[in-house]
Amino acid sequence: MPTLRIALLAIRLVMRTKVALFFTFLFPLVFLFAYAGLIARGNPNVVAYMFGPVVTLNIMGSGFFGLGMQSVSQRERGSLRRYRLAPIGPRTILTSNLLANYLLQLPTIGLLLFCALVFFHMPMKIGWLTLLVLVTVGTFAFAGFGLTISSVANTMQEAQVYNNLIWFTLLFLSGVTFPLPMLPRWIQRLAMFFPSTYLVSTFQGAMAQAEPLLDHWPEMLVLVTSGVFGLLFAMKLFRWEKEERISTKAKLWSGVFVLPFLVMGLWMNMRANPTAMWARSFNVMGQAPSGSPNAEAEKLIEDFDGIQASEELLRRWQVSTDSDVSGHSMAEISLLTPGAEGTGHAMRLKGHLAPSPENAQGYVTARCEVRVPTNSRGLRGIEFEARGEPRIYQVGFRPPKAAPSSIPEISFVPGMEWQSVRVPIAWLADSSRYGLADSPWLLEISVTGSPGEFTLDLDEIRFY
Amino acid sequence: MASLEENSVLVSVQDLHKHYGDLAALRGISFDILQGEVFGLLGPNGAGKTTTVEIIEGLRQPDRGSVCVCGLDPAQSNMALKERIGAQLQSTVLPDKMRVAEALHLFASFYKRSASVQMLLERFGLAEKRHTFFENLSGGQKQRLALALALVNDPELVLLDEPTVGLDPQLRREIYALIEHFRGEGRTVLLTTHYIEEAERLCDRVAIMDRGQLVALGTPRELIARSGQGTRLEVRLEKPVGLDRLKLIDGVIDCHEADGTYFLHAQPAAVTIAALVRFLESDENALVDLHIAQPSLEDVFVEMTGRRMEH
Repeated sequence: MPTLRIALLAIRLVMRTKVALFFTFLFPLVFLFAYAGLIARGNPNVVAYMFGPVVTLNIMGSGFFGLGMQSVSQRERGSLRRYRLAPIGPRTILTSNLLANYLLQLPTIGLLLFCALVFFHMPMKIGWLTLLVLVTVGTFAFAGFGLTISSVANTMQEAQVYNNLIWFTLLFLSGVTFPLPMLPRWIQRLAMFFPSTYLVSTFQGAMAQAEPLLDHWPEMLVLVTSGVFGLLFAMKLFRWEKEERISTKAKLWSGVFVLPFLVMGLWMNMRANPTAMWARSFNVMGQAPSGSPNAEAEKLIEDFDGIQASEELLRRWQVSTDSDVSGHSMAEISLLTPGAEGTGHAMRLKGHLAPSPENAQGYVTARCEVRVPTNSRGLRGIEFEARGEPRIYQVGFRPPKAAPSSIPEISFVPGMEWQSVRVPIAWLADSSRYGLADSPWLLEISVTGSPGEFTLDLDEIRFY
Repeated sequence: MASLEENSVLVSVQDLHKHYGDLAALRGISFDILQGEVFGLLGPNGAGKTTTVEIIEGLRQPDRGSVCVCGLDPAQSNMALKERIGAQLQSTVLPDKMRVAEALHLFASFYKRSASVQMLLERFGLAEKRHTFFENLSGGQKQRLALALALVNDPELVLLDEPTVGLDPQLRREIYALIEHFRGEGRTVLLTTHYIEEAERLCDRVAIMDRGQLVALGTPRELIARSGQGTRLEVRLEKPVGLDRLKLIDGVIDCHEADGTYFLHAQPAAVTIAALVRFLESDENALVDLHIAQPSLEDVFVEMTGRRMEH
């Protein structure tokens, strides 16, 4: 089978070339150790978060500078001419290049994975099959990029210009180098048009939260489509000889290649709004722009997404009512799906306030234990997403043994739509003085007032 | 029923035209190549030889005219044709780190019918170089590998595009021997060259091309005989003599002088030599040196085109 033979020979040729060996195997490792050592500072969770960008970087590199430049180089050197005399066509050449690129990718990713697991103890939340599918789809998609560029570029110099232009754009504006949640909102909006964003965010969702690939099927579909487009363009515009030049009209036609990204970007910007998902991965596994590597993860108090059932929720949250003092108010907490801004879950506090014989007003309080981040310097309070009937709720944050009345409470009134609520806590910044980090504190959310039904939904509770 | 002569035509080229932009590369050339013959396309650079070969190989489409190779139209049955022909390019480039035997095995695997790689390695003197990378081969070895690659599918027709260009005389002779071996095997060979001696030595028939046109076609002997230039006598004399007087000698068709040597084109040569001796005796002059040269294809080319071949 000519395709397989050419592909296997191409792999052997890479193995015999020191420069190719360096860029195929060693260079990705350099990136892994740089990301894991310098950015993640060895934090296994952050390494897992950065693993996707490292793999994406490698896949992008092999698509642009491996497959793409190789195709132009073969044409420029004249080595394609000899193949032209044999009874094989462009399809055989292209698919063999594609296959060789893919087969070289697998051991490289394997090596990256091995180093991440062994040297950085990266948690492996992603399934093997999911990883393989992601690598396959990503490699195919960026092979499409490389093939399209090699099809429209007449010379190596021209291909270099196109490659660098696209490479650096994707590198810095799509989460490959800097986590997207760290970037300004307008860059996040722009990133929704880039294929590397789709691959990186899918990797991070799968690596950080074991999100199934089905949650990312639109991204996967666009990546596969771009690969198919690239292959079709490459077949249509294939040239055996460097003397054969491509017309401007044909170059313009290749603009169709960006169409799937355009549609996807518009859809994401207008309908899907994936920033909450990006932020969730980032918060679970990522790091803050400054401070300790896991500072952002430590800021999260509760997002309810790791909770699978209401029983689990009840182990973390307790509810007390005026029934403790002979009242008749009742309340329950449950898991709500989906959560705020498309996240997985939220918590619902629902009940009935009844007049208390002693106080005249009933009350209900939901509370959970909270550990203050080890370095709380710079923290100003607690924020969360809330939704519910417009009643007055109080938020309190106190040591477990302190009496509720000894700590001031902040009131808020939720609206019928999700909205952010910020509760400033002035003494939070000086943790050492108050010994905040020594033991868990209590976060309490209470409702009182006129008798009747109430419902309060809470999500994304964190320090800010 | 087709005649024997029609059956033996392996390649038929009729009225080929090809333009590259404003440049007319081929301007209506026609010829047939018979089975088992070594056919040469002779002409200077830019004559249209490579374009002709590439159209025959099916790599280019003519603007006008028709080609039939091994009973197939190269434009319509490209893959089937490639199974039956073997070709060597003017310069063959393979990946630097590809080994000699690897290249032969790889290309042999593309064809339904293939020759023994071991046999090719031995025949082309590459057995000792079988594990050598392409980048480490000498120019002659690369050219021998290119010829071996042209034979990996045991082809009926072998197309060789300037197989000895850039090689030193020793290597050229090696390549000549290989091409003569092809002829011995009964293969049909189409050879393009701008070396006169190569065409004279190797080709059964030669088509002389210039500026996209066929200016002469026949066996080397026929072409030379057809030439009106006759035998060339290169004469050095004791005393100078006027060209107008030399032109009056019996059998002299034309004459010119360069660096003290007189070039007499004579027909028949024997009559002219006898008359020249008589003329010198009567003129009290004497021969210092006499060299007799048969007319060559180069003379034919000069006569046909009015220009010398550029080497």
